[in-house]
Parts: sequence; structure tokens; C-alpha cells
Amino acid sequence: MWNMFVSYLPDWTVFLQALIVVSIPYALSRMMSMTKNAAENNIEQDDQEANPQRDFSGRLDIDLDRMRTEFGNQADLNIRTFCLGNTNQQAAILFVNGISDRDLIDKHIMKSLMVDLTLVGHEQGRDVSSPPFTKQYLKNNVLSVGVVKEVDRFTDLSSELLRGHTALLLDNSNASVIILGTRKEITRSAGEPSSEILVRGPRLGFNESICDNTTLLRQHGEKTNLTITQLRVGQRVTKELAIVYIKDIADDNLVQEVRERVERMNLDDIQDTGYIEQLIEDNYLSPFPQVQSTERLDRVISALMEGRVAILLDGTPFVLTVPTTFNMLLQSPEDYYERWIPGTLVRMLRYFAAFVSTFGPSLYISFISFHQGLIPTKLALSIADTRAGVPFPSLIEVLIMEIALEILREAGLRLPKPIGQTIGIVGGLVIGEAAVQAGIVSPLMVIVVAVTAISSFAIPQYNAGIALRILRFIAMIFAAIFGLYGVVLFFLLLCSHLSKLISFGVPYISPAVPYRLQDWKDFLIRAPFKLMKHRPKMMNTKDPLRRK
Amino acid sequence: MRMSEQESITTHQAVVIVANYILGVGILTLPRSAAEQVKTPDIWLSIIIGGLIAMLAGLIIVKLSQKFPGMTFYDYSQQIVGKWIGCILNLIVIGYFISMASVMLRAMAEVNTLFLLEETPRWAMIIAFMWVGIYLVVGGLSAITRMFEIIFPITVIIFVLIAVMSLKIFDINNLRPVLGLGIAPVLNGVKTTALSFSGFEIMLLIVASMQNPKTAQKAVLIGIGIPLLFYVTTALMVIGALTIEGVTSLTWPTITLIKSFEFPGILFERYESLLLVIWMMQIFTTFVITHYSAAMGMARSMRKDIRPFLYVLMPVIYIVAMLPKNINDLFHFSDSIGKLAFVMFVILPIVLLGIAKLRGVQT
Repeated sequence: MWNMFVSYLPDWTVFLQALIVVSIPYALSRMMSMTKNAAENNIEQDDQEANPQRDFSGRLDIDLDRMRTEFGNQADLNIRTFCLGNTNQQAAILFVNGISDRDLIDKHIMKSLMVDLTLVGHEQGRDVSSPPFTKQYLKNNVLSVGVVKEVDRFTDLSSELLRGHTALLLDNSNASVIILGTRKEITRSAGEPSSEILVRGPRLGFNESICDNTTLLRQHGEKTNLTITQLRVGQRVTKELAIVYIKDIADDNLVQEVRERVERMNLDDIQDTGYIEQLIEDNYLSPFPQVQSTERLDRVISALMEGRVAILLDGTPFVLTVPTTFNMLLQSPEDYYERWIPGTLVRMLRYFAAFVSTFGPSLYISFISFHQGLIPTKLALSIADTRAGVPFPSLIEVLIMEIALEILREAGLRLPKPIGQTIGIVGGLVIGEAAVQAGIVSPLMVIVVAVTAISSFAIPQYNAGIALRILRFIAMIFAAIFGLYGVVLFFLLLCSHLSKLISFGVPYISPAVPYRLQDWKDFLIRAPFKLMKHRPKMMNTKDPLRRK
Repeated sequence: MRMSEQESITTHQAVVIVANYILGVGILTLPRSAAEQVKTPDIWLSIIIGGLIAMLAGLIIVKLSQKFPGMTFYDYSQQIVGKWIGCILNLIVIGYFISMASVMLRAMAEVNTLFLLEETPRWAMIIAFMWVGIYLVVGGLSAITRMFEIIFPITVIIFVLIAVMSLKIFDINNLRPVLGLGIAPVLNGVKTTALSFSGFEIMLLIVASMQNPKTAQKAVLIGIGIPLLFYVTTALMVIGALTIEGVTSLTWPTITLIKSFEFPGILFERYESLLLVIWMMQIFTTFVITHYSAAMGMARSMRKDIRPFLYVLMPVIYIVAMLPKNINDLFHFSDSIGKLAFVMFVILPIVLLGIAKLRGVQT
């Protein structure tokens, strides 16, 4: 009995291996949680510096002096002092050259204040001598400008000035300043975005002005429930940000969550929605984009109609939509513009392309290096024939070609368009051909790499394509170590990751799981519109029916 | 986060969990182990009867769990039979789950060594597998459930594909005579076949987190029904193609079946890789859920967070997986676990249900 027991006692190596089994993932998880804690601590360090309150004195010379010192004599700050109408009441307007609309200031503001303004218009029958014109009067009767407001803090005034508005200061009046909306924006016209081109569909994309972008959203049909909330973000460089949703569709919790996350991010300058994307995403260690960014108006509109929330930032044409799910990465608006059969076929093709672009080279490696027996005999023979001169194992062979191709692709992006295309084609063809002739790689491998590359271009979202490109290399390493088993293992790892990933409370892998037949009508296939009565259930919308 | 990390399990998620858990090693070994016992081509009948028994046992387990809403077996065992016996029961169940996980790992390594990777050491395969597993299980039950739901349709599609292809060498005559030696051999095999349905015991744990525990009966019936269909199909195909004598002499008859036909001219000629792929995925699901269940048992018994226990169990599972010296040892080990499962999950729930009724235990 004892002998039998002893015979089953494992070797010390087994204990060592058991230690390895637990120690590495445990150490990794500790490292991950440490980085996460660090990130959270950063968020908690909200420096809530109270703005120094600087009220205006109401005396023009003192206020102007202070303005000059506070602004540090900026060259482009324009201060114009003048007398109101034909009285001797002093006034001044301040604006920053270039970003204010000079035409509006000259023709409407200055003219109405200096020329058209007469005491005749003042019929209130009040004491005319000590301030002849009140701010109230000017605002109500004189200034023919659409946006007018009053501020009484210096910081507010300077931020308004820097946004291109004009300030009007009056001598001998109450301690506030009138701000006149004279902002001028340099924008480009809303053309078709070059990063997401469709054959059919509206040729309309966003541009860099948040004002234009919200206009585009409003313009798209009458939607009384489209809600646009504006926030100001960035600590040093403040910018306008808009959270857009449809009030009676989007889940309130979701909107609240988006708001909280956007308000929580603190960075001195937020240059692009790409910054926001990275600051509000759930898992920054994941290769997958958890927030969809698009330049296309129709994509944003359809996301809004599904109950998602859009985030717009001034100064960038890219609009974020959250929550993002895996299926969004492989969908194109065109699926809906074409009839459902082509739409479905193209969509399935894309899923296949995504599979090939992730697993193509790794399957090649595993079959060539490990399981030659699983390939048909004739094919195996011909592969062996062409591979006879290749001195490298298949992993190195694939890596050479894949890396060359990735470099080509990156180089092609940076070059001017016509040259870029030439480099792509010439580089690909010539290098492939030359590599085969030089005996570094086998011709079949060139085919595999080419098919993989083309497949990765078939993915409609650029950032999703990048994610799959990264994963392809990891899959290749798995395949090189464990063959087909490694590929399966990698697939399991990938699925595990996808099932753990959550974007704004919605599982990233939905609508694949949990099983909801309603949502599947718009997943692998694109069902006819007659069948798609419901909004995605995963979004937990207030109004689940698209059609009554 | 505004929503709770752990969502409740819907009815079809429960179905998928049970079905995925059951479909493990069974699909590769069941035809042989059943054929050894039955020795007539009627093993498909034994499988059906075995499945029905499993369904009955599953129903009893569900009944027991429903008496204690929101509680897992680990919580209510102590309420029914007192602290100490409950503790011992919990320990046995934890031990069972650990051994299940280990058997899965080792079987995976054995099959891989035999068919895919002759030279790769077993420890390397097992360690990599466990690392992927731990990555998933730390995500909690909802991540595991989602993973199961991804794998399940892949399994079904590939399995149906393989079953249709093996019609090529299927011969109905190999299945005759039906009941040639009477019902006795069929019943003889039921013990083995019923064991291959172990997995329904997961209902002891997941009824607690179900959205609608009233539908648990339906879930367990369908959850066992799907593997039943898979097993019967496999048995019919294997016996129909390889004859009963052929099956008893093979270690992994299902793989041999797939290896034995060829479709020249299509991309591959041999399809056992496909079967191995889905089988590895199934092993993964079984391994993951048993690992999680064992850790959950420890965490619940000590009323602590589950995470540290997930890590603590890893070396234990690894060492147990390396204990069997060879594949026959492994089969013996797995058989004895099966017998333990029979006692633990068929007889024990009846006893517990009886005690609970007699003592009138309230939650």
C-alpha cells in the first residue's frame, strides 16, 4: 500500500512546475492591478483650485489697466476706446484679432454704438446725466447681435475673448461686462471623409467645427428629442465637448455614466477625440477599440437611433460613439443602403476576412511546421517541393514577409498619395517575387501573406484592422510553439478576453452572446427591414421598438 | 461601474453551461467504455437510458437548490446537515471538482501527445492551458458564461459537419441486431453511460445565480438533452462505421472514425483536426467551470473573496493532473471519480432533500 502511494508521489520537477503555474499569472495580475490603482489614484487627485474672483470696478480706466496687465500686453488683443453716440460717456470694446468677426464688429457693433445711437432713442424719462446709457438699455435697444451675455469675472471674460467674442465695457456703470458673440471659425466644407469611403450613401462627413457638426446632426431630419449637452473640457486649453443622445431612446444610466467619465478626465489639453477615447475606455490593456470613432454622419445617426451616445469635440472631425460592441467594427453603413441579400453576403465576407487576417499565417505555420499529415498529400508534396530551398523555419519565413509588408503599409500611409500607391504595389510585388527567387520564402507563403493583408483591408474600421494585425502576430507565436493546439489556445484566449471585456456596461462580444434572436438579425446577417422591428436589446433602450 | 459586474444567468445560458460541461472527454471515450460493458451494438440504448437517469438526477438537484433561493450547495449543505457534516460534504465536492479539472487537463495533454504534438512535453501544454483558463476565470461567472456561449455554436456546427461526413462510411448493418441479446447487456452499460453525463451537478451552484430559478428544470432537461443527442449520434456513427468489435479495441474510437475516411480534393483530406479543435474547446469549458466551482466552494465555505482561491487551486490541480502515470491510470482515476459523482450527485441530493423536508429547514 505504502509502496503504491510512494510510486504515485510526483517528482520535484512537478512541484516546481506547479509553482510556475501559479506564480506567473499571479505576478501578472498583481502588476495589472497595480497599474490600475495608479490610474485610479490619478483620477482622485482632482485639484479643485478655486478661481480667484476678480470683479470689475465699473470704472473704465481702472478696468482697462487691469485687463492690459492681466493679459500681459498680448499683441493680438485689440482695445478700442470711444464715446457712445454723441455723448461723452466712455466705452471700450475688446476683442482678439483674427478669431473675431471683424466685419460684424465694424458694421454692426461699432456703427450702432457710435453712429446710430442717439439720445432721442432714450425715452425712459430718467435722469440722463449720470450714466446716459445703461447696459440694459444697450442690450435691449441698440446691439443688433444674436448672442449677448454679461459676465462679471475676469477669468470668464478672458476665456470669452479667447474664443473670439467681443467684450464691451462701459464707464460709470455696474461692475459687469457685456459679451457679444462675434466668434469666427475657420472650417472646411463637409466633404466625404477619405478614411471611410462608401459606394452608396450620403457623401457627408464631419469637419473640425463642433458648431458645424451639431448642425449636421440637427439637419438630419427633424428630431425634437435629439439632446445636445455641452461641456467644457481640458484644464489649460479648454474646449467645447458635446454629448449627444436621443432623449427618449438612450438609457439614462448610460448617459449619466458617459457624463461622469467625461467629467472625470483631467488633462491640460485634449487635442482630439482620440484622447477622450483613451481616457474613458474601460480596459486600456485590450487591443480592441472600445469606443467607435467615425467621421461619417450616417454612422453616428444610426448609432444614436440604436440608443448609443455620441461624443463630439471641437477641433476634430472624429465623433465617438459608445458603447461599442464587437459587431460594430465589422459593419458598414452600406450594409443597410444595399438590399439585404448583398448586405448579408458582404457582411459575412467581412467576418471571414477578419478570421483570415487574424489566423491565416498562424494556421499556415501550424500546418507546415507541425501537422503536415493533415494537408492533402499532393498539396503537401508540392509545398515540400517549393519549400525545399528555404533555409528558415516557417515562423521566421512568415515573420520576414509580414514585417516587410507592415513596413510597406506604414510607409505607404506617410507618402503622398500617388507615390504611396506605387510603393505599395511595386514594393509588394517586387519584394515578394524577389524573396521567392532568392529562396528566402516559399511561393505559397507569399500567397498566404498577400491574402492575409488583403483581408485586413476588408475591415471597414481602421482601428479594428490594427487590432487584428497585432493579434495576428501573437497568434503566429502561439502557432510556432504549439502548432494547431497553440492556435486553438490563442482562439480561446481571444474569446476569453472578448467575453471579459465590457464597454460602458455592455458586454463587448454582444450581440453574439447572450443569445438574443432579435439582436442576431443585425449581426452576422443583415435581415430585411421588415423583420427588424426592434432596437438592439443589449442597449437597454427606453423605446425598444423601431416600428410600431 | 454602474451595473453590477456579475449579471444573473438567463435560462438558455444555464442550458449552455450544463451542455458544455457535460460534453467533455465523453465524446471521445464514451463509445469505447460503453462498448466494453455492453458488448452488443445497442450501446445507443444504454446512452439514452443513462441520459434519462441523469435528467432525473438533475431534476432532483434543481429541486433541492430551489428550496434555498440565492444559495449554492456550499451554503445550504451546512444548514441541512449541520456545520461539520456540511463542511465535509463541501470538501468532498471541492475535491471532486479539483479532480475533474485535473482529469480534463491530463486527457487533453494525452490526446494532444497522441495526435497533434508528439514531442511537446505535457507540462508545457498543461501550463499554457491553465494560464488561459485562469485569465478567463478571474473574470467571474458572467465572463465564463459568455465564453461558453461563444464556444457552444462552434461546437454544434463542426459536430454536425463531422457527423454528416462520417455518413460516408456508415453502415446500418453494423448496428444490427437491435437487442440481439435482450435488454440485460443494455442495462449493464447504463452505469458507464450515466457517468458520462456527469456535469449536471453544476446546477447545485448556478441555480443560485439564475435570473429566473423557476426555469431551472427546463434548463437542466435541455442541458442534458443536447449532450444526449451528441452522444447518441457519436455512438451510432462510431459503431456504424467501425463495428462493435473494432470499437472495443481502440482508445479513442471517435478520432479513429474521423481518421478513417477521406474526402480527397477538398481543402483538407482528413478532418480529425476539426474534431480535436472542438474537443479541446469543450475540455476548456469543462476545465474552467470545474476550476471555478472548486474555488467558489472554498471561498463560500470560508466566506472570503474568490480570487485568491483561484490562484491557490492552480498548483493543486496541476499536481493532481500529473499524478496518473499513464493513460490507463488516467482512465481508472476518471472512472473512480465518476463513481464518486454518482454517489455525490445522484444519491446524496435525494438524501439531503429528504432531510431538509423532515427537519423542515428554512432558509
